[in-house]
This record gives sequence, structure tokens and C-alpha cells, in this order.
Amino acid sequence: MVDVELKVNGKDVVVSVDERTLLVELIRKDLGLTGTHIGCDTTQCGACTVHLNGVATKSCTVLVAQAEGAEVITIEAVAGKNGELHPLQQAFHEHHGLQCGYCTPGMIMIGLDILRRIPNPTEAEVRENLEGNLCRCTGYHNIVRAIQSAAESVRTGSGE
Amino acid sequence: MSEGPGARGAKVGGRYIGKAVSRTEDRRFLTGYGHFVDDLYPQNVTYAVFVRSPHPHARVREINIKAAMALPGVVAVLTGRDWIADGRGKFVVVSPVESSDNVERPQITQPVLATEKVCYVGQPVALVIAESQWAAQDAAEAVDIDYEPLPAVTRAAEALDPEKPVIHDVAESNLIFVKEIGSRVAVEAAFSAAAHITELTLTNNRITANPIEPRAALGQYDPGSDQFTLWITHQAPHILRRDLSENTLLHPEHKIRVIAPDVGGGFGMKVANHPEDPAVLWASKMVGRPVKWTATRSESLISDAQARDHWTKARMAFDAEGHITAIDVDTIASLGAFQTRLGASIPAQFYSRTLVGLYRIPAAYCRVRGVHTNTAPVQAYRGAGRPEASYVLESLVETGARELGMDPCEIRARNFIRKDDFPYVSSLGLTYDAGNPLGLQEKAIELFNYGAMRKAQAEARSGQKRQLIGIGSCAFMDCTGVPSAEMLKMGRKKVGGWDSATIRIHPAGKITVLAGSHSHGQGHATSFAQIVADALQCPIDHIEVVYGDTERVQFGHGTWGSRSMITTGLAVAKAARLLSEKCRKIAAHQLECDVGDIEFRDGWFRVVGSDRQLPFQTIVDAAYQGGGLPEGLDPALEQVAYHDPSERAFSSGYHMCAVAIDPGTWRVRIIRYVAIDDCGRVINPLIVEGQVHGGIAQGAGQALMEDMTIDHTTGQPLSGSFMDYAMPRASDFPYFETGFQETPAASNELGVRPAGESGTIGAVAALRNAVIDALHPFGVNHVEMPMTPSRIWHSVQLAEKRNG
Repeated sequence: MVDVELKVNGKDVVVSVDERTLLVELIRKDLGLTGTHIGCDTTQCGACTVHLNGVATKSCTVLVAQAEGAEVITIEAVAGKNGELHPLQQAFHEHHGLQCGYCTPGMIMIGLDILRRIPNPTEAEVRENLEGNLCRCTGYHNIVRAIQSAAESVRTGSGE
Repeated sequence: MSEGPGARGAKVGGRYIGKAVSRTEDRRFLTGYGHFVDDLYPQNVTYAVFVRSPHPHARVREINIKAAMALPGVVAVLTGRDWIADGRGKFVVVSPVESSDNVERPQITQPVLATEKVCYVGQPVALVIAESQWAAQDAAEAVDIDYEPLPAVTRAAEALDPEKPVIHDVAESNLIFVKEIGSRVAVEAAFSAAAHITELTLTNNRITANPIEPRAALGQYDPGSDQFTLWITHQAPHILRRDLSENTLLHPEHKIRVIAPDVGGGFGMKVANHPEDPAVLWASKMVGRPVKWTATRSESLISDAQARDHWTKARMAFDAEGHITAIDVDTIASLGAFQTRLGASIPAQFYSRTLVGLYRIPAAYCRVRGVHTNTAPVQAYRGAGRPEASYVLESLVETGARELGMDPCEIRARNFIRKDDFPYVSSLGLTYDAGNPLGLQEKAIELFNYGAMRKAQAEARSGQKRQLIGIGSCAFMDCTGVPSAEMLKMGRKKVGGWDSATIRIHPAGKITVLAGSHSHGQGHATSFAQIVADALQCPIDHIEVVYGDTERVQFGHGTWGSRSMITTGLAVAKAARLLSEKCRKIAAHQLECDVGDIEFRDGWFRVVGSDRQLPFQTIVDAAYQGGGLPEGLDPALEQVAYHDPSERAFSSGYHMCAVAIDPGTWRVRIIRYVAIDDCGRVINPLIVEGQVHGGIAQGAGQALMEDMTIDHTTGQPLSGSFMDYAMPRASDFPYFETGFQETPAASNELGVRPAGESGTIGAVAALRNAVIDALHPFGVNHVEMPMTPSRIWHSVQLAEKRNG
């Protein structure tokens, strides 16, 4: 067992876990934050994407032990305190950027990271930066559109 | 019922129907509060891991569980013998295919857990249950199974080879059925008289659905009530419950509750009967605790029901003017090691009958032979038979056009069924109600700017960069929504074609719709609510749509084959109409006038031409109070309705795309993709466009990259993870360009047609044809799918060698 302290969605978390426990398992099972999903076992699909110290990271490929002292943000902390959707979530809604909804939390987390790094991304930049996130329903069309459209509202300051 | 679309005034130009309404179900998925099976961690839960066959074909000599049982945290290790000893049953084929040669062959399904023999890599043999996922995994590795490996056959084309092993001891060969349709005599005559004959041998590669949510099941047994509850990723919970009750678990149907909560994509795969479903539920009784199983992706890739896997020899006859005079198709379709519930009917009934597509082809003949191979069972995957058919048909059409020196658009136009020919009876025995294929083509040509694209292609070819541009099309017909009577003729004695809806207007005026189909991305919560909101003149957010729980919802057949809107949607419309009529009766009684004088608009019941009116809520209050109702009218406002289609539903489409092939790497890039679809009346264009996008991506995935690769010398699947199974990514696509031509279906009150699978039916052949169009200057006339850079390079090398 290993003792780890970290911060998840602004709350202190102190745990003692089996060494092989993955960050995604801690998030889903121990913390009950089941919005972060698992879609593969080889770091390909991105359904488990969270922000680790501000950077989009696949939580299936991080051991809890590696997250000592880290700050983790999950999908549950993206909307505002009163439930108002983040402009990126709103754009996904308006542009029908989700169908079954399973890859969606990962898409939102990578989308936020793209907008942080590239405030005004081109279509090609969005597509390239979605390389690590799979969606089987949408053909990506409306996901790309939603991220491009959200870029503007985030730039104007209503976002992060 | 023969009233055409729009016969009931409230429907046309409604406030919601036809509008791009953003989905009401989005919020929970966007904020991380969806409820998927793996999100559940009930108290005292145990974790299951399946021990699976590592061999494509082997006898099971012995299963030794001692070492596994001795490991810490292990609760139980269950095998097929335990299943049998507990008196449980086995899967049945719900849709057996009657062979055209009248020979009865055994219908072989897989055991829930293998005992004597394993017939594909991934077949479940034992089930380990432990206190934690890790403990279960460790113990699964410690289950010691002694196998005697047997020779295997994994290629469809080789399954009937007498040199190859016969997989099942009870069968004489690997042949499951032979289905012949059309007229062989007419086809032979047409080929004898043909001015030109085009021939192709095509492999439709084995692929798998890969929804991003892997399969998962959570079983719970309550000894107090003798009730089983199964939470499961499934598209048709009532059908699964019936199968559990009658065939596998053998427990009364009313004592089994199946809940399919949010399901992360299905695409047909999650309607199959997988052995893990009954196994997990049974195990929960055996261990007396909840049992949870979630597939890893590697596990999904070998154990999910897979798709396609055809080997086909096809030819097409033309007259001197490019009219198609006949099509002749001979297909071997692998159904995997065991039959699934409906798998055999896909090549036999759906593939075969759609092979003439949108063309007037006077003579057609098709022979399909369904076979077993040592591979995972085959079931529906988006399109189920129709993408395979359009791949054959449209490959022949474009190859024929090239050989005849005709433009592929021109040859299609020359052969299309004309608008005035409808209703049209095809030479394969289907009656198409209505359509306008030429109109679809004209729209596609215009949106694609076909002339200009051809010019750009020629310039690119002759230009310095020697860019390889290819343009390909696919005209297709989709046929689904089979009426119950037709299903019966097909031999489906226990599957109907109808579906159901209950609408409950609560005393406070809000509305619950209980839908017999399931929604796992298709947006039923929104589109069904649009129908109800228009019929009952209320805001859409007053309506909640519930599905996926056998205890809350009346029997329904679930979601598959693009059937939800054309069955459940129409049941919703009918229930809403009946409730609206009941409300009008109450209003007329209260306003002391004839029902015919009541108009219902904007939530008010008004006596025509007067200011006397009552709001909706007053009528609801009256219905629930019960004292002020017309004589003979029952109180309350709850209505169940069913819809069984009166005829099959057809939709059609024309897809056109352009690809650029890098002459250095031979990688294919899609540069344009235009899809024009006729799915009748569109309830929500935002949702239908989304369905088209996703369908195109799945078709393009098969055409360009996806493949369940098997090493045919060892029978081992090589696509064991997302590292080895190429899933399409965002950078593989441009923005798609979509358009609609609406030919309302006269057979139903909404005028709707199937929509969910058309993208896939069109995309496979459109991309195939575009790639060949780019490569034919090298002498390449076919590349097998997936058309990877390596395959393309090899084809070009071969063609150049052949042509000196």
C-alpha cells in the first residue's frame, strides 16, 4: 500500500491505495466521480481525460502514487457552481457535439486544454489535437464545430 | 390506415417537428452525471473476470480451478459444468434461415460457458468472482485449462473447403444455410445476350462495432422475492429479458428485471445475445452477492459479436447503351463459430434483397451461403447487410462504367428507377413505395460541384505535383421496418416488427413517455418529445422520455435496424393523438359543444369562432377528478399505443466524395464528402445530420482502416487492442456536407422513413470507388478493404508489373 495526498476538484484527498491503483480507479471508485470514463486499456481512447496540474492527461495511464501533491480537475468541476454550463459545454449542446455521451467528458477535458493552448484554433488544429480522443458516434464533425465555436466565447472572457 | 402525412393538421408545421431542437438529454453527459452500468458500485459488490479460450479451436480436456480458488479474495470460480448442474439452458436462434435446398441443418449456438470444446479465441470458459478487480484478474490467470488444440478455419472463403476442418461435431459441414433468391434462368439468359460483362471478386472484411463504452453487466439476485436484476449495456432490454427467461437462465420473466441505463453506443452489437449476460446474472445467485463485469477493450475486441466478413463473386451484364440487364451474386458469409439470435438473417434476408439498390435491373439472382468459421460470432453492425450489398452493387456499377467508357453519374442516371415508376417491384421481390433517385443525384452533383471537381482532378493528374485525386459515388437504398407478418414469414416466430409507447399526462400536467425502443445516442428523448409537444401543445421541457427498464416500460422490441422512429416514434404519435382526442372530448363536454367544434391551439381548447376556451390544465384536472366527464369516458390521461408497420420502410441516398492519395506514402485523405439522404420527413435535422455524420465515419472506417485482422495460419486475431485495430480519428475526416430530399412515406402518419444507418450504407462504396478512381490510371481496378497505404502500394506495384 502507498499513502498519497492530492487535490481533486479543489478538495483535499488523502488515501492509502494498492501500488498498482490507477488514477482513474481512484477517481471513479473511491471518490465516486464516475463522469470520467474508461474506454480502452492502451491509452488510445481518451474517455478518461482529466486535468492533472492544469494539463489534459489520460487518468488510465497515471498511477495514484504518481499523482502525489497533484491538482486534479474532472468533468464534474467544469460547470459553474450554480450549474451553468461552461461555454464549451454549451457549444457541445448547441452543435450536437455528443450522441451517446460516453466519450463526451474526455472530449470536454481535451477541448478545454486545446482552447487553453490555442485560443483561436483552425479546423485542422482542432482535429490534430483531438488525436488522442476517440468518438464512435459523431464522426467528429460536430465536436470539431463545437470546439471552434466555443473558442470565441472563451476568448471573450466568459470561460476559464 | 391510409391517411398520408399531414392528414392531421396539428402535425404539419408544428412548433417542434422539423426543427433543429438541441437535445434535452445532453446536460447529464456534458457535466459527468450520465449513468452507465460501470458507474454502479452497489454495496457488497463482487467483480467478475471471464477466462477465455486462447485457441481458435480446441477440445477442453480438463479445467482445474484449485490454484485459482486458493488465491486471496477469490469468492468463486464457476464453469459450464456448474451452469448445467444448476439446470440452466442455452441460447436459441430466433431467426433461423430456411435453406433453399430444403436440407435441415443444425442451428448451433454457443454455450454460456464452454465445457467440451472451444471454437473461437475469446470464447468464455470459466468465470472468476472476487472481492476486487485485481484479485479476480489474478485468479483468472491461475485457472488451469488443459486444451487439445485442433486445426482451425478462419477465412469465410475456405469454410466449405473439404480439406478444412468441420467445426461442429453434430454438423456434416460448416454450411449453415444456402439461400437463393431471384431468377437464375433470367440471369443466365441476360448474360448470354449481354454486350458487356463486368466481374469482381470482393472481400467484405470482418470488422467490429467498438462503441466507446465497453460491454458491462451487473447482476443482483434477491432471495426474498426470487427476483433477478440485470443492469446491462444493451439495446433491447425486453428481448434480452425474454431470452434470459425462456432460453438461458430459465426463470419466470416477471421475476427478471433488465435495466439498460445510459448506454455508450451500440451500433447493433449490443443487441446480440452474449454469454456474459446470463452468466453474470446467474453468478449473482450462486455467490449471493451482486456481481459486476466490465469488459476491457482487449476483451471487447475478441468477444463482442463482430460484423460483415463476406467473400463474393459478382458480375453485372450491360447492353450496348450501358443499361444494366442483370446482376449475379454468389456470397459466402461467415457467421462465426456460433449463430447469434439474428445473425444469419442479415446476409440471407437483408443483404440479398437489397442487391439491386435503386436501379431497374430486370434480372437478378443471388446465392448466399452462411458458414461457420473459428471466429467470434457475427451479428448486426450499423447497416447490417445493406452496406455489404451497396458495396457489391456500386463497385460493379462504377467498374462497369469505367469499362464502358461512361461517366459513373451518367450510367447511374440511365439505370435509376424513375420517380414515376414507384411503387416499384424489384427483381429481388421488394416493393419500394416512393422515391426520386435522380433528384438525389442532381442535388449531390450540385452540392459537390461535380463538373468543377472532375476538371480539378484532371488538372491535378497532369500537373507537376502529380496529385492523385479520386471521385467516387454510391447510390443506395435502405430497407428496414419489417412488419410483424413479414417477420413471421421469415421464420421469426418470437420477434415482432411492432413497437410501443405509453404516454402518461400526470395530474400536474407534466408528461412522461415510456418508449419501447432504447436510445443510446439517437436522441429519442428529444425527437419523441418533439412529437408529443406538438400533439399536446405543450413546451418540450414538460416531457420526459423513459426507456430501458423492463419494470418501468411496457414490452418493446428495442433499438436496431433504424427502426425507432418508424415504429416507436409512430406509437408515440398515436398515443399523443389519442390523448389529444380524449382531451378534446372533455373540453367539448365542459364547453357544451360538439367535439368537432373544438380547436386545440397553444395549450387552449377553444370553441371555434368564439371566445369560450379552457386551458390544458383545466382539462387535465377534470380528467383526474373524474366527475365532469362525458358519459362513458374513463378518467385519467394515460394511453398506451402500438405501431406495427403496414409495409417495409425504404429510404435512399446518394453520396459523393473526393479523396487525395499521396503518391509517396499512398495514404488516402478524404477531401470532400457530400451526402444527400431521403429519409422522408425529418423530425429533427440536427439529430438526423448527426446520425449521417456518424454513419459516414463508420463506413469510411471500414473502407480505409478498420479490420479485425486474423492470422489465418494460426487462427489468432491480431487486432487485440486499439493499438492494432485502427479506429477513425478526427483528423481522418473533413467537415461533411449533408442535404436532404424529403419524400414523405405515405404509409405512416408522420411521413418518416429510416435514417440511422444510411451514412454507413453509402460511405463504404463511395470511398472504395473514389480510391479506385484515383488509382485506375495505374491499371488498378480493385483494392481490398481496408484500403490501407500498404494495400494500395501493393496494388499499384502489381498493376504496373502486369501492364509492363
